[in-house]
Amino acid sequence: MTFERRDFMRAAAGAITATVTLAGAPALAQDDPLQVALGDIASVESLNLLIAMERAGERGVPMEMTFFNSEDVAVQAVLSGEADIGVGAPYAFIQNSDAPIRMFYRMSTLLFFPVVNSEVYSGWEDLDGQEVTVHSRGSGTEALMRLMEEVHGIEYSNISYVPGSEVRAGAMLQGTINASIVDAANFRLLKEEGGDKFQRLPLEGVNATDEALYANTDVLEARAEDMQVFVEELLRTWQEIEENPEIVGELREQYGLLQDLPEDVAAEAVPYYTEAVENGVYPTDGGEPADVGDDIAFLAAAGQVTGDPAEIDPMDYWSFDLLEAAKASN
Amino acid sequence: MASTTQTNAAEGPVAGLTSRWASAAADTPAIWKILSLALIFGAWEIAGRTNFNYAFPGFLETMAALWEMIADGSMGAAYLRTAEPLVLGLVISLAIGVSSGVAMGLRRDVEWLTLPIFITMQAAPMAALIPLVTFVYGIGLASKVLAVVMLSLPVIAINSYKAVRNVPSSLVDMSRSFMGSRRQQVFGIILPAASPMMFAGIRLGVAEGFSGAVLAELLITPTGIGDLITYNRSIAKFAHMYAAIFSIVALAVITVSLLHRLEVTLFRPEKRGV
Repeated sequence: MTFERRDFMRAAAGAITATVTLAGAPALAQDDPLQVALGDIASVESLNLLIAMERAGERGVPMEMTFFNSEDVAVQAVLSGEADIGVGAPYAFIQNSDAPIRMFYRMSTLLFFPVVNSEVYSGWEDLDGQEVTVHSRGSGTEALMRLMEEVHGIEYSNISYVPGSEVRAGAMLQGTINASIVDAANFRLLKEEGGDKFQRLPLEGVNATDEALYANTDVLEARAEDMQVFVEELLRTWQEIEENPEIVGELREQYGLLQDLPEDVAAEAVPYYTEAVENGVYPTDGGEPADVGDDIAFLAAAGQVTGDPAEIDPMDYWSFDLLEAAKASN
Repeated sequence: MASTTQTNAAEGPVAGLTSRWASAAADTPAIWKILSLALIFGAWEIAGRTNFNYAFPGFLETMAALWEMIADGSMGAAYLRTAEPLVLGLVISLAIGVSSGVAMGLRRDVEWLTLPIFITMQAAPMAALIPLVTFVYGIGLASKVLAVVMLSLPVIAINSYKAVRNVPSSLVDMSRSFMGSRRQQVFGIILPAASPMMFAGIRLGVAEGFSGAVLAELLITPTGIGDLITYNRSIAKFAHMYAAIFSIVALAVITVSLLHRLEVTLFRPEKRGV
């Protein structure tokens, strides 16, 4: 009996040790590929990131991308150690949960087009007391429209939510709604279909992060060297795309990225990056502390975060060490 | 659900336990209910305080958020929105479900024609079909009502059908031997005899209807309680998100318990007043 019990205890202790070791392993193992969690499906908009990941792989830092249903799930994956790097702008999550994750690279800035039916409205002032349609509650589109409400001293009668730029653009074409906000591709569609009927309203002084890369602070420290290689490649890729957006098409071929995209969608890649670069969507500096204040101001307008942009400490949300080290070595 | 606990607690000790404590406790089933709730909520609070997950608030924090949402009116407004597809869907399901269930029970030809549809509806994973519904009916109220109907209708219809089909044949024979007309047979014998089981089906159907309403609000467009859940998740206010989930679960439990109590009062005199 005694022997059996002792053996059992030993086996149990062994099992527990093994479990603990296994559970702790993914976040710390040096040779494992860096897992990137994307809260969406890959599209032409992810090509620049995929190119940088391939290039990091060429320099001995293998990387893999996993797709999640939403950004919230991606954050959870990063927190639990199932993924190393997440894509998104989890300001609200960091502020409300105090979780030890930090952003380290600003991939893109928010670019949306507030658009009105010019037969009904001609400027921001006309939207006072009118209804506007945005993507969803707490979304970037709502934040932008709310911010403009503040900037222009107007007040909408109601904000209604219709998810999907293409759905809102369709509704504008049908004439169901007269004021909305859509992305670049759908603004182009509105212009093609409706010509001068649709007017873009100016968006001044908005500098907000659309997508950034973030990671657990443990991973940032434990895999600092690998991460630095990745950030160097991000900077290099972004710079090359800035200089010549057409390179995206060539690099996609070269690395065989997103092979299963339909031809017509893949053909959109170069025009998309050309337009995005013209509009300054992809910053080449990877972000700086001043941007953090702008992001907070922007998100506070939408009610996603609280706090005075002048008083917050950027280091509560960001870690710039990697970026600085990468810039120094580039 | 509450009544089930009550009957079990009342019958159990009589059968086995003889100690004074147990019989005293059996007389006051409320104590057991409160104890079991306290145990669950206590475990929840402790789990929340261990910080095992950054997105998991404790019980007290969740209740504070619940109170905040009730006080500022956002919860009430959300339920008014959610009630619309839920009530409409349930009324449609009850009308169609009970009548088609009874028709299937009474007539073989109707059964052959309609039963396979309900069985397919019941077996199909509805969450997978909801995107399909939006292609046809758009993202408005119609789709949400349909989601509620798709979940609750088959349960109600199939239970009504089984209830009618399982009416003891001796009762029907009796009606026949008293020269009862078909009309008297249906309204005087079959429907009253089938009522308890039909009502049990309605109770299950209402519970499914709640699932349908929430699924629709999470998968189609976020409105009402589904909006409270997704919005608070997107801005990482997890206590508020859990409070919204807690409220819909509690509401469903209360509704189903009340229906159960109504069922006992109406159809099961033998269980009343235990």
